[in-house]
Amino acid sequence: MGRFIVRRLAGMVAVLFAVSVLVFTIFNVIPNNDPARQLAGRSAKPQLIASITEEWGFDESLPKQYLTMMGNIFTGKVISYETRENVDERIVEGIPETFSLCIGAAVLWMFFGVLFGYLSAVRAGGLLDRVLTVVAVTGISIPVFWLAAILLNYLTYKLELFPSGDYVPFTENPIDWAYHLVLPWVTLAVVYVGFYSRVLRSNMLDAIDEDYVRAARAKGLSERRVMTRHVLRNSLVPIVTLFGLDFGALLGGAIVVEGIFSLNGIGQYAYESLINLDLPPIMAITLFGAFFIVLFNTLVDIAYAYLDPRVKLGESAQ
Amino acid sequence: MRKLHTALAVLGLVAAVLVLSSCGGSGGKEGGTLSGSYASFPELDPTIAFSVEGWTAMYGTYLPLLTYKHANGDEGAEVVPALAESLPKISPDGKTYALTLRKGLKYSDGASVKASDFTASIERVFKLNSYGSSFYTDIVGAEKFAETKSGGIPGIKTDDKTGKITIELVKPRGTFTNELALLYATVLPAGTPAKNLTDDPPPATGPYEIVNVEPGRGWTYKRNPQWAKSNAAEIPEVPSGHVDEIDISVIRNQATQVNEIERNKTNWMQTVVPADLYNKVKDRYVGTQFRVEYPINVYFFWLNMSRAPFDDLKVREAVNYAVDPKALERIYSGTLAAGHQILPKGVPGHESFDLYPHNMAKAKALIAEAHPSDREITVWTDNESPNDDAGAYYASVLEELGFDVKLKTISADVYFQLISNPSTSNLDTGWADWFADYPHPNDFIEPNFSGNNIGSTNLSHMDVPKLTEKIESLGEEQLGPQQEDEYASLDREIMAQAPWVPYGTIIVSTFVSKEVDLDEVVFNLLLGQDLTSFQLK
Amino acid sequence: MKGRSPWYLAYRRLRRNRAAWAFGGLLVAIVLFVLAAPLWSHGPADTGPNATHTTEKVGVDGETREVVNREGKPIGPLWLGAGGKFFLGADGRLGRDEMVRLMYGGRTSLLVGVVAALITVLLATVLGLLSGYYRGWIDAVIARALDVVWAIPVTLLGAALGLALAVGGLRIGPLALSGDSLWIPILIIGIVYTPYVTRPIRGEVLALREQEFVEAAVSQGAGPLRVMLGELLPNLLSTIIVFFAISIANSMLLESLLSFLGVGVQPPNTSWGTMIAEGFELITSSPQLTVIPGVMLLLTVLSVNVFADCLRDALDPHAKLRLEAHAGRTEPEGTAV
Repeated sequence: MGRFIVRRLAGMVAVLFAVSVLVFTIFNVIPNNDPARQLAGRSAKPQLIASITEEWGFDESLPKQYLTMMGNIFTGKVISYETRENVDERIVEGIPETFSLCIGAAVLWMFFGVLFGYLSAVRAGGLLDRVLTVVAVTGISIPVFWLAAILLNYLTYKLELFPSGDYVPFTENPIDWAYHLVLPWVTLAVVYVGFYSRVLRSNMLDAIDEDYVRAARAKGLSERRVMTRHVLRNSLVPIVTLFGLDFGALLGGAIVVEGIFSLNGIGQYAYESLINLDLPPIMAITLFGAFFIVLFNTLVDIAYAYLDPRVKLGESAQ
Repeated sequence: MRKLHTALAVLGLVAAVLVLSSCGGSGGKEGGTLSGSYASFPELDPTIAFSVEGWTAMYGTYLPLLTYKHANGDEGAEVVPALAESLPKISPDGKTYALTLRKGLKYSDGASVKASDFTASIERVFKLNSYGSSFYTDIVGAEKFAETKSGGIPGIKTDDKTGKITIELVKPRGTFTNELALLYATVLPAGTPAKNLTDDPPPATGPYEIVNVEPGRGWTYKRNPQWAKSNAAEIPEVPSGHVDEIDISVIRNQATQVNEIERNKTNWMQTVVPADLYNKVKDRYVGTQFRVEYPINVYFFWLNMSRAPFDDLKVREAVNYAVDPKALERIYSGTLAAGHQILPKGVPGHESFDLYPHNMAKAKALIAEAHPSDREITVWTDNESPNDDAGAYYASVLEELGFDVKLKTISADVYFQLISNPSTSNLDTGWADWFADYPHPNDFIEPNFSGNNIGSTNLSHMDVPKLTEKIESLGEEQLGPQQEDEYASLDREIMAQAPWVPYGTIIVSTFVSKEVDLDEVVFNLLLGQDLTSFQLK
Repeated sequence: MKGRSPWYLAYRRLRRNRAAWAFGGLLVAIVLFVLAAPLWSHGPADTGPNATHTTEKVGVDGETREVVNREGKPIGPLWLGAGGKFFLGADGRLGRDEMVRLMYGGRTSLLVGVVAALITVLLATVLGLLSGYYRGWIDAVIARALDVVWAIPVTLLGAALGLALAVGGLRIGPLALSGDSLWIPILIIGIVYTPYVTRPIRGEVLALREQEFVEAAVSQGAGPLRVMLGELLPNLLSTIIVFFAISIANSMLLESLLSFLGVGVQPPNTSWGTMIAEGFELITSSPQLTVIPGVMLLLTVLSVNVFADCLRDALDPHAKLRLEAHAGRTEPEGTAV
């Protein structure tokens, strides 16, 4: 088991390294994108550009530049090309908002996803099932950014039901904190609620055919007991794994939602850096996001290996 | 009798009190906290900041030797003394500037302001490779310092005991007084580190100081205690400010910024009201919470004179006749003050004229005459609304003239570096804007039309040696009525060559919540709203 | 008992499914709608998707109105008031016909979605077959490469690639694509989703491989290519078809997201995503410009998703294709972020 864990962790590091090289390459392949010009600002004189090129090392070989940048990221010294500010500090500033957004949305989607999925499965084929299925499939089909724009325009601007802008820290006022985040939470959660409820429903319907359920029924347990104690519990396992993976990928959704709702989190910073073609923050944020994805992937792998010895054997046969 | 005397005395006293209290200003209250919003987080290091957002943030905090007058309209273009006693004494040959630092000035951390701090501050401009470096390279020894970053700048001589500062230039520079008033030349303590201090700004000399910065999120001002104690009495040209505290937060969504002001959650937004809300806000709040402002800028389409088909004067003239200012006014939702000359209103030397009034038929006739063989052109524009629409409109006009147009829309933050990069291919024509570094006609003409700036700011690649020479020599002269006339005629001469299709000036706005006294707000045409002028009702 | 081919049985099941009819019909209607673009554009609307009409006027029920008024507000939906011109109004300050753009934009959105899905499914099948059949180091290499793509959040990767390529285009050897070519978003979206489809296919190949008919083919001397294409692939078809449908939905959503951010479809091409982005700037004064393309996109993706569901039920009523956590890998179905 120990060796397995070590191997997976090593794999994690290798993937992160590959990700960093990939991102670095993408941005250095852009023709006519000169970071010295970016730093120098609009309409800068050639002497200034030359001075910056030399000082920041843009005339050095690409591998050397790569190493310098990675070194700076891990020592907390990396500077943005566009704003000349410290990237790591800005990322740390954005963490409370992004985490509030992601965790809140996750709680919401898990709760409603499981609830709707359970109800759908228990009343499979009936009206409630059909309605919830429609809701779920619609949820999967909505463009997140469009939903955010519509909710913002009608519920916040026109009807003034929700506050616009500004983030209230949890430590300052939990109620206000939640009130300001309701719309962003709903926007992010909608897609996942749809998806998870259908997965749960499907798993539960499969599980109902299984032997252990028949055995439980034969023992005389009430239907309700059978459903919750046995079927639901076993169907939740893949849900939990999915959750682990999706949570890591939330950063993508945050990029769009934060901008529209004026949350100054990491997603917003990622968006700004992208449109500025600003490599240092893009690199730092991508690694940050990739780290979580890979971490959750690895944890899930390890958990599975622990629970299911066949997986480990299967691995070594490869 | 006594009782009448007493009564009259009391009446007189009451009257006196009433008169005196009403003389104290508009009657708005002093103190309180102003909350503001920005749509993006600017640089808060005066030596580096090159955007209006940064300048507005620091106008009331950091003082150079000179500053721009805290006044509305054209008056704001006047340079007045700040940390220096008076405007510089300039030698007859235009190469020596003499100033004296006022006595007893202190930074917000209590340290005294010394004359040698000025030299260190200019050195910091070069050490940080600031955009402002190009304004001070004419100082003797500066160019060498810019390259080596060592050895000091021999052209600046200071005496800490007398406060005298003498600056020697390599050649006369007519714009230097203006450049000394820019925030790049802010006087900071000599030991200030040569790195971006946005997260922890350096000590202030003005009425406010920045006390807390949350990068990306916002920052806070409080009154600078040293201002009232030491500096205010010495510097009458800079007002002391009314509110005690200013809280700025970054709200990226501009529609949300407007919404917050309407709901009185925020008092002021630095950003312009976005186009689709502009008319609604203007109609509802003009005069009470909304005011139109006229900064100095010019919006235009540049034509690359160094390649076909725009190397032909007739083609360039035709394009100028073909563009319709009425269409552009709509595209800018009324925030454009149309104009067809280079120097905008507010800049000395400005004269309104139109060499090419809109006439599509004439434009097409000129094209037929010129009969350009190369009809394939690439039109460039940035993706910020409504500039992208302006670019798309321009492309459709060129298509109507018979060209085969390819429109390239580039992200706003990399647009300018792309189109000024000589190695970018197919730079035929495109959209651009020019915001002045300072209110001087030379700042509009020299960077854009001098042959020395091809490959950086001269987007149309204009290279007419006679004109270049005239621009450079006029730039050495101090600005007076004669020079203003010469700049006006230079504007015409350049437009006769039609390197650009200028289409007007973007007007901005001041939008405040109902708690703020709109009439007291001062908007400087270069630096934006003056934070020291905000007063709560 | 006469045996029926499983395909025929699937077809029968599909035919009985009412949701399939309803949403399949909706999908067909939408496709016909966007295909009719040239007819509408040359006919009643009398204008192209990119033609600007900022200073023009249009006659509506006898009176003349400006297409874009002096304050920059575009005219609202005229329906048939001007004979079909500006049926849905103008699209913004450039005064372009919203209905014409909606139809042409739909073509682009559908085209990008379908072709990208095709690329995803093709790549995934090839990679899944190779890694599932050969296992060993080939599997390891492919798995690691996919891991790297998987690790970067989809939006970030798509946006980074889109931005990088929009500026300068793509030049690899003889292949040269200009920055505004539709192939760029198509390729990016196609590649970005590949890992998510490869894994389940690989899983199926691994399972199929152990079965008897494969062993039989191998013992009869069939080479790897014959086994992969002749034995494995036919059994994968139902999985592939369902994933193709799901990928169309995901690709359309990702394209609209990237176009909304400005890094997907580039002008002069237009898609529903770019229309939502343009409409967003005018959302307070002209909300229909945001709502209409969004609703079209929603209806299309919804129809595809429902139809994909029905396909899956028809092809595999026992839901063999449920999400399996195979060695910790799952494929998010219908997730676009």
